Amino acid sequence: MNKAKKKKMKKEVVWAYLFILVPLSTFIIFTIYPVITSVITSFQKYRPLGSEWVGFSNYVSTFKSSLFYKALKNTAVYTVITVPIGILMSFIVSIMIVPFRKGIQSFFKGAFYLPAIASGVALSFVWKWIYDPLPSGLLNSLLRFFGVSNQNWLGSSKTAMASLIIMAVFGGLGQNIIIYIAALLGIDPTYYEAAEIDGSTFLQKVRYVVWPLVKPTTVFLAITSVINGFQSFQTAYLMTGGGPDNATTMAGLLIFNRAFKYFEYGEACAQALLLAMIIAVFAILQFKVSANDVEY
Amino acid sequence: MKRKITAWILATAMTAAMLSGCGGEKAADTSAGAGEAATSAEESEDAVQGQDKEAGTSGEKDVVTALLPPVSATYQDKIMEYVDAFNQENADIQIEVTTASWEDMTQKLDIQVNAGSPPDIAFVGSDGISKYLDLSMIINLNDYLQDELSDFDENVLNYFRNGDGTYGLPAYCEVQCIGGNKEKMEAAGIDWENIQKNGWTYDEFREAIKKGVSTEGDDTCYGFVFACAGVTAKDYFSIFVKNADMPASFDKDLKYAYTSKKMLTFLEDLRALIDDGSMPKELSSVDAGKRWNMMLTGQTMITGKGLSSFERSAYNNNKMLEEGSADAVENSIPVEYIVLPVPVFNGEQHALGAVDGYVCLTGEKNPDQAHLQNVAKAAYYLASGERAAYTCQELYLSPVCESGREEYAKLDPIVDKNEANTACVELLTTQIAEARPDIPAELSAKAIKIEDEVIGPKFQGLLSGEVSPEEMYQAIVDAGHEAFGEEGCVAD
Repeated sequence: MNKAKKKKMKKEVVWAYLFILVPLSTFIIFTIYPVITSVITSFQKYRPLGSEWVGFSNYVSTFKSSLFYKALKNTAVYTVITVPIGILMSFIVSIMIVPFRKGIQSFFKGAFYLPAIASGVALSFVWKWIYDPLPSGLLNSLLRFFGVSNQNWLGSSKTAMASLIIMAVFGGLGQNIIIYIAALLGIDPTYYEAAEIDGSTFLQKVRYVVWPLVKPTTVFLAITSVINGFQSFQTAYLMTGGGPDNATTMAGLLIFNRAFKYFEYGEACAQALLLAMIIAVFAILQFKVSANDVEY
Repeated sequence: MKRKITAWILATAMTAAMLSGCGGEKAADTSAGAGEAATSAEESEDAVQGQDKEAGTSGEKDVVTALLPPVSATYQDKIMEYVDAFNQENADIQIEVTTASWEDMTQKLDIQVNAGSPPDIAFVGSDGISKYLDLSMIINLNDYLQDELSDFDENVLNYFRNGDGTYGLPAYCEVQCIGGNKEKMEAAGIDWENIQKNGWTYDEFREAIKKGVSTEGDDTCYGFVFACAGVTAKDYFSIFVKNADMPASFDKDLKYAYTSKKMLTFLEDLRALIDDGSMPKELSSVDAGKRWNMMLTGQTMITGKGLSSFERSAYNNNKMLEEGSADAVENSIPVEYIVLPVPVFNGEQHALGAVDGYVCLTGEKNPDQAHLQNVAKAAYYLASGERAAYTCQELYLSPVCESGREEYAKLDPIVDKNEANTACVELLTTQIAEARPDIPAELSAKAIKIEDEVIGPKFQGLLSGEVSPEEMYQAIVDAGHEAFGEEGCVAD
């Protein structure tokens, strides 16, 4: 390599670092720094006018708290049900939308994506109206036609979690559908033609062509959905407040209450870090199990 | 070269834009995961710094900041006029008000407190002082106000006391009780006038609400509906438990009172009201808006919690119905709202008084004594005189300070006010459970935690029929023993 080329290369490297500097600074300030601060705070009794070092006591009280385990269990149940149902439904809906011409596709994409841009508070009002517990409630009126008796949707521990899961699945479809449609449109049509020549049925094409080719998208959606599921907070906060009898208290809500209701930031940070570790373990496991044959 | 210069400019602009929001030091003190907290703290500090700068340059005015919610319908507009008047009268003090909705108020204040830069004055419930006291960020007004404190009714002021300190000034004391539909109660043969004067027992109440239940086709009118969805379930518990011979969570010997056997009887009694069919079995999902809608649409005879100001809400809706206005609640009927005392389960009649008012806070800035004196003066101004009178009248309440009462007498009387309700509220105000400044903040905080983490959730379970009274009682006993030890709890 001659001198001029080396100089040019060096300049380009400088430019590259300069542009990386902006997102890197953002990452350091808004992600790394808060994480380090939260690690420190998790060993303290946080006080605005001077925190006190308490060692591992925040972790000890977290491990002793039965509510923490209940919240973890609730979060796991919520995630384990929401993620597969959400992915499967969005995959099916995407396959149904893709054959339409562009204008109709856009209409459906917009319609399904609408809940993602709507305010969570506004959505919670709509869902509360749907889940109205009295016989005059929308869902109860509908079910009465089928002979199902009146249900106390959000007030009973038997139905509260299911109600939140239904809300989360329908509310989260839009984003997955947009991503799936992009992946489906990226499949080379010659694969379909070849399958048709071989006499494949529609379901065989889905099973042997589409599903393997969108696997990287599915893995991506599964991992991000699991992370979002474990971090779930808003739905329970707005709809049930964690009740009844903590049947819908998620880890995120527990951490929020610990920090902002009781001002126990140290314990909240300890719980948040433990949750982050659990999420990391799940994400790694998912990569190991389902992403072995996936190339990005 | 041109392109490189453009790239340089863009990169610099991006970096500068990104870093421009990171000027405050407070963000460093907030915990991770509290992004919102950090941002708000920075905004708050910037605002305070801006105010200090203003004060510094003028060299005249000491700026006192206040964070105030919409206490009554026109409070936030009216208070600005009063604050302007105060600022003109006081050459050395400038009150600067930040308004917030009720929903935002607590969160905004808590974030500012935890960032170490709270407003000088905030409007809070007296039950919240223990957490600010625990953080050593609330000012003891005994050091700055002397004669002014005697302006307030002693029992009401006591709600803002802890130990020997006075940590706030009450704006009002709102009796939290229940309220009924006059026409429906009379149709059920309930002598509401006698009940307003002499109260009623649990058994009388139980029989009365049974009579209030009626069904027409698919429509049911219940005898009693209390808002119990989410955190409101705690209101039902707190308001009624005062009349079960447990006016506070600690007895006079500072033993945790809710472990008493009286609690079990109380829980069984509450559950019986649902089992009777007098209250909807879906009660645990009925929120505050829904139950008021049920009251106005004739789906319940009695509702809770009831506040004095509900009389005005019902009156306004009746007016709209008369005028055929589309703003009237859909399917509503004319309702004459009657204030009713909570039935007595056991012991004496007590009422729950929600005492809200102004607290003075301090943070990392360590304000000097002169500033704190000004803050206390401003807080007294907001809590007393014409401000108190006007606020109380809007809320259909009586002022809790002498100066407020004097000004209240000068105001135009409320049109079409039900005098029987006024008399009942005055009587209930005299029955408000005694304030307990003797309960140390630490014990208070533990009791609040049990209420939030055990009583609230289990009570929701009890209302939905999934937790038995015995299970809930046992959970309270276990939590009490864990928090206070067996010797720290009532055992009978």
